[in-house]
Amino acid sequence: MKFVGLILKSARRSKRRTALTMISVALAVFLFAALRSVLDGFDAVSAASSAQRLVTIRSTSMIFSMPTSHTEAIRSTAGVTDVTWANWFGGIYKDPKNFFGQFAVDPESYLRMYPEVILTPEEKAAFLADRTGCIVGDGLAKKYGWQLGDRIVLQPGIPVYGSLDYPFTIRGIYRAGSSAVDNQSMLFHWKYADERSSPKGQVGWVVTRVSDPEQATQVIAAIDQRFANSPYETKTETEQAFSAQFASMLGNLNLLLGSVALAVVLSTLFVAGNTMAMSVRERTTEIAVMRTLGYPALTIFLLVVGEGLLVAVVGGAMGAALARAVVNAEFLGLAGGFIPLFGVNNWNVVVGIGLSVFIGVVAAVIPATMASRLKIVDALRRVA
Amino acid sequence: MALIELRNVSKSYKRDAIEIPVLDGVTITVDGGDFLGLMGPSGSGKSTLLNLLAGIDRPSRGTIRIGDTEISSLSERALATWRARHIGFIFQLYNLIPVLTAFENVELPLLLTNLTKTQRRDHVMTALGIVGIADREKHYQRQLSGGQEQRVAIARAIVTDPTLLLADEPTGDLDAKSAAEVLTLLQRLNQEYKKTIVMVTHDPHAAERATHLLHLEKGTLVEQAAAAQ
Repeated sequence: MKFVGLILKSARRSKRRTALTMISVALAVFLFAALRSVLDGFDAVSAASSAQRLVTIRSTSMIFSMPTSHTEAIRSTAGVTDVTWANWFGGIYKDPKNFFGQFAVDPESYLRMYPEVILTPEEKAAFLADRTGCIVGDGLAKKYGWQLGDRIVLQPGIPVYGSLDYPFTIRGIYRAGSSAVDNQSMLFHWKYADERSSPKGQVGWVVTRVSDPEQATQVIAAIDQRFANSPYETKTETEQAFSAQFASMLGNLNLLLGSVALAVVLSTLFVAGNTMAMSVRERTTEIAVMRTLGYPALTIFLLVVGEGLLVAVVGGAMGAALARAVVNAEFLGLAGGFIPLFGVNNWNVVVGIGLSVFIGVVAAVIPATMASRLKIVDALRRVA
Repeated sequence: MALIELRNVSKSYKRDAIEIPVLDGVTITVDGGDFLGLMGPSGSGKSTLLNLLAGIDRPSRGTIRIGDTEISSLSERALATWRARHIGFIFQLYNLIPVLTAFENVELPLLLTNLTKTQRRDHVMTALGIVGIADREKHYQRQLSGGQEQRVAIARAIVTDPTLLLADEPTGDLDAKSAAEVLTLLQRLNQEYKKTIVMVTHDPHAAERATHLLHLEKGTLVEQAAAAQ
């Protein structure tokens, strides 16, 4: 502990350089924590997805729809106990930048299939009774300051839904009961959208509940077999696989985000290492003096590593705190409703700070070795 | 009784393939409580001899015994521990750590000991008191004059109560008044506190303060004389 003061004083030797190094570590940890939170968000959705629910889309792509007759055909498949369906609406609320998920759903069956969408009985009844009613997640309502009974208008963003505005009345503000459901979306009556659609009677995807998750593989095969060689061939997956695939539409996120994080950490490592080396070079005489006073090489090594560690950990803590403040700030709506659990959790904070420890130690090892191996007489002669 | 015994000590440096002899077969004995002045022209090997006594350099040949310890055979780690306990070193350019206050500079060698914070404070204030600069404990190097800086450096050298004080041209960077004050202080440490001091100097006035003088030329002892005192 008695050397802590010495380390602190050394770190404050060049305040600007120390501050810049801290900021570079802070940025690295910020990016790491923010990118991790994206991956964790997708993972959480997959993990919380029901093992009893299957999702059927067109085999070509989920952007293509299929006829409503598919829902009845799926309902009659052995092992299926319930069916619902939904469409991606893609409407615009005032401005295209106000992006959030809007889904046209069959209300009764959808709420039955997704008990994680939590409404009061009054809200549920009001929503079911109003063809132009909608329900919104509490996160979304908070973001836009919506209240029950508010009127909102969406412009259709996809040509199949026509060109006229869609007015809605907010009949419920739901809470998300699990990570499988986000609280940043809007649900409304499929019939309302279908009335103005061209062609009519189209659904984006069908969600099926199976009686026995152990039989899911057979049910999946049976559903897809039923539509094989038809103009609307299907691809059925478990909800978990569907969620993972939804994430993978953005590419191999793990690899992409992991590569970005690695590049940031490595470049920060080099920056911090170079800074520490400069700092040690400037202190050659002081280190030689300390060695003359009897400081063992190991103590000098540990002092330099301690300084690197201090700068990096303070920077790391700043970065983690910043990531938590910025990414977790609901008002910023960074997740855009796509990732329900989008936020920097405690584990990511711990890993981020651990990363800064790694940066601090590794960046300081070479300069610390230089310092501890210094030949006292040569170092003193350099300035004499 | 002899505190320092150098037996046939030689030192040479290698620069590329060339071996440069600096000291050649030097044999010296210094008694405890002596104030030895080492004189000689530049390149005569004075500072090298001082570095060997400090254990920050090793002889190419010969042996160096200080007290009961044959230091030329110690490992690097053992030598560092030995230096911390037995050597106080005063540099020509003071070599204070600029980010530390006078107090913290003097405390630096004590951080290697097991003393408590209170004990360290007592030791530091005593050392600063001896060199007459206790009121400057919170000052940084840039807030001190050259003479004051050297006083702080002397306090740092004596704070562990070392066996031997080594001074490498301690007045070389000071004006005449400050130099005289520093020399008086060293003399006091020798006479009042019975410190054994080896001082390298070019300055005949400084050398006059020593109780014994040795002259080096081209790495060999050319003359040994008792000082005026």
